[in-house]
Amino acid sequence: MKKILIVDDEEVIRMLYAEELEEEGYAVITTGTGHGLIELVGREKPDLIILDIKMAEHDGLDLLQDIRKDFYNIPVILCSAYSSFKGDLKSIAADYYVVKSADLTELKQKIKMALEGHIPFDSSAT
Amino acid sequence: MFIEENPRGVQSADIVVGIPSYNEADSISYPTQMASQGLVEFFGNKNSVIINCDNNSTDGTRDAFMNTDTQVPKIYMSTPPGVRGKGNNFKNLFRKSVELGAEAIVVVDADLKSITPRWIKNLGAPIFEDFGFVAPLYVRHKYDGTITNNIAYPLTRALYGRRVRQPIGGDFGFSGALADIYLTQEEWSPAVTQFGIDIWMTTIAMCHGKAICQSYMGRPKVHKPKDPGESLGSMFAQVIGTIFDMMIEHGDFWKEVRWSKPTAIFGFGLGEMEMPPPVDVDVERLFDKFVAGFMEYGGFWKEMLTGNVYKKLSEVMALPLAGFEFPANLWAETLIDFAVAYKKGDDRRERLMASLIPLYLGRTCSYILECEPMTIQQAEELIEDQCSVFEHSKPYLLKRWFEEA
Repeated sequence: MKKILIVDDEEVIRMLYAEELEEEGYAVITTGTGHGLIELVGREKPDLIILDIKMAEHDGLDLLQDIRKDFYNIPVILCSAYSSFKGDLKSIAADYYVVKSADLTELKQKIKMALEGHIPFDSSAT
Repeated sequence: MFIEENPRGVQSADIVVGIPSYNEADSISYPTQMASQGLVEFFGNKNSVIINCDNNSTDGTRDAFMNTDTQVPKIYMSTPPGVRGKGNNFKNLFRKSVELGAEAIVVVDADLKSITPRWIKNLGAPIFEDFGFVAPLYVRHKYDGTITNNIAYPLTRALYGRRVRQPIGGDFGFSGALADIYLTQEEWSPAVTQFGIDIWMTTIAMCHGKAICQSYMGRPKVHKPKDPGESLGSMFAQVIGTIFDMMIEHGDFWKEVRWSKPTAIFGFGLGEMEMPPPVDVDVERLFDKFVAGFMEYGGFWKEMLTGNVYKKLSEVMALPLAGFEFPANLWAETLIDFAVAYKKGDDRRERLMASLIPLYLGRTCSYILECEPMTIQQAEELIEDQCSVFEHSKPYLLKRWFEEA
């Protein structure tokens, strides 16, 4: 069973994603903070990370660079309420960028693609 | 063996900025000044030195460098008279950096016109945050860097699974530990001692599992741009030959790699991007050289390319300039066929590399026609799509490389 780590400071989002993704057959772990994230990733060895950008105490884009430094092979999906961060060059360190929505169809599709190692032919899809 | 002048008697350094050169008297002073300012402003608490590693230039490069007013001490090094090559300059730099006990080494081109002190920070700071290798990320004109766009980036990414946009960017940061690894490599081919050095360094960093990041420079790379149809010379064979040599050396590594992963980014966030100056390209000349290449090398290509690739190339050759297209998947398979032929034939490698140039010019012609109406951002997306095509071609490479061995 593939293990997904959700990093988001909104508890409601963590609960929603966890419930939906567990229904899809994934094992889900969550954290509401970037504190100790690298240690958590090292300990839990998730197959994929869903990472919020604008968190109260942390910038997800900076956390993404830390993840890439130590665990470059783990797929990371940036998941933000804002599409504007796509314009930040740091976001290209992610496998995919998904704008938050109540409909998780796109997120689930990107999770599947990232876990299969797919790369998009249309680069604008990232 | 090298010549060294160290007037301030520098015996150790935490960070080194290296500037390789050959006959750059008219341009080296500016990057030297910027390097000094960057080291003072961003690494003021560390011991630093600037090293010009030169090829015994005859135009006064040494004097231009040593007479540049800097707060940071300088060392001039040179290969002995008659010994040329950027790679040889780097070998001297690696040796000296290891001798000085440097923790971080930054290298920048001697002909840079757009370098700022921040470039030194952005290439050096990640090394002190435990990255092993830092590649530059800058906005380039869509017609600049065509070897990078059409060969070095897509091929390296498909082979080694790391997305490093400027693997032969010329401006890098790397750790002292990696310098030591470079120094002890046995695979210093003649091409590596010349212009093959950049792709060699990037590839070794990848194959040694070093933490890699790309650093956004904030300004476009402005140096001496070259029309890809005008001046290729031996540089092409040195860079591509090194890529093929590294494929042979590291087959056990890249055969296990599927797809590619993004790389960490260091540097600026949201903000205005400064646009690079235009680069003029003579598309007709590229097309003419492609067609002429078919006349000269057609028989040779037929002999060593697979039948299907040769057939498709013949179809492309028959197209007029208006409506000319050299598809990315055909280009990927052509390069793979060349790599396989390179691996097989020691005695005809020189001819092989020479015959690849017109095909590269044909692909460049097609690329330029396709991205002519595009913005730089759209052209970037085109390059990313080409990379995807290369990654999807990897099964073809694996089949040809390993099953026909």
